[in-house]
Amino acid sequence: MYLIIVYDIKVERVNKVKGFLRTHLYWIQNSVFEGEVTVSEFEEIKMGINDIIEKDEDSVIIYSFRTEKAFKRKVMGIEKAPIDGIL
Amino acid sequence: MTRKNYYLMSDGILKRRENTVYFINKDNKKPLPINKIYSIYAYGSLSFSSQVVNLLAKEGIPIHFFNYYGFYSGSFYPRETLLSGDLLVKQAEHFLDFEKRIILAKKFVEGAAKNMMKVLAYYNVDNPIKEILSELTDCDVITEIMNVEGRIRADYYGRLDEILPEDFQIGKRSRRPPENMINSLISFGNSLIYSTTLSEIYNTQLNPTISYLHEPSERRYSLSLDLSEIFKPILVDRLILYLVKKRMLNENDFEKDMEYCLLNENGRKVFLKEYDKRLKKTIKHRELNKNVSYRRLIRLEAYKMIKHLLGSKEYKPFVMWW
Repeated sequence: MYLIIVYDIKVERVNKVKGFLRTHLYWIQNSVFEGEVTVSEFEEIKMGINDIIEKDEDSVIIYSFRTEKAFKRKVMGIEKAPIDGIL
Repeated sequence: MTRKNYYLMSDGILKRRENTVYFINKDNKKPLPINKIYSIYAYGSLSFSSQVVNLLAKEGIPIHFFNYYGFYSGSFYPRETLLSGDLLVKQAEHFLDFEKRIILAKKFVEGAAKNMMKVLAYYNVDNPIKEILSELTDCDVITEIMNVEGRIRADYYGRLDEILPEDFQIGKRSRRPPENMINSLISFGNSLIYSTTLSEIYNTQLNPTISYLHEPSERRYSLSLDLSEIFKPILVDRLILYLVKKRMLNENDFEKDMEYCLLNENGRKVFLKEYDKRLKKTIKHRELNKNVSYRRLIRLEAYKMIKHLLGSKEYKPFVMWW
């Protein structure tokens, strides 16, 4: 499945969330990650976020799609971090 | 398949930070999600710390290194986690028992030859590979098998010249160094598939040093050479024909000198991009009745070998059916 995660998190925890998501997904721009995951990895990600955030102060939204083909993606302006395997 | 291959073309540093891997080069700093790396192919010069190695080892991610000329120089092969003493003994047994070894060696040649025939058939090129292959039945030593294999390959490369445009003719296969453009493409592709296969073997219980067609004493992961034989026509040769015929590569993508010819950085990028696309491409597998990527096909081949070694199902090399 394909995930898009956006978040709004208090400064003291924001780097923790960013660091954690970086191990699973691609950083797209500030507060946005996306990438292909397996079902079990999805659970891992949800549990990981749950452990870091404070429920009454932070907000995380996960959009999930069956496949990457289920939606269109258009970038306007600069693509800050292209997902590319050739570096 | 959510994990992918990373091809590091530029010089840079591999660093561990926030429990993931960062690739830092002169232009930018890029985090690679550790859970999304399948294996790393390093073409530029790469510096890395032991912390990175520890992390990659923990996740079972191999790094394959290529030298300045794009030739395979070695791999960081993480500690084996999939071990099976039983299989290792069986692997050795099939090597030591001469008859058993011959059976397997022939299968690799047969698989490779049949796939070559498929490649030629696609372009309607007549060939005597079938006749040469039939001589395989009478072979009872490895050198004879190698001989048949060599003759098939020589004929095959000659036939490819009928398909290729004039400036991309093979002429004679030359290695170390490749002397013309097409030879350098073949060498580059072959060293790539060799490491791709090694990555797949790493993910099985097979020991990569015990091989059947190639001599295990070659100081290489020679089982990977055996299995690559089958996939060279499917993945490498077809890709080269595609790139050349579509004119996606031209003289400017090569670096030429008196006695050698090599892909330059741009040429490598084009090649790797298309190669990676092919690895990800899926086909409907006839027996499994589901979609399988080319990369997965290599792994399935390793599984089939395991079944053969353990005696549960005879190994039949993969042959394209399209």
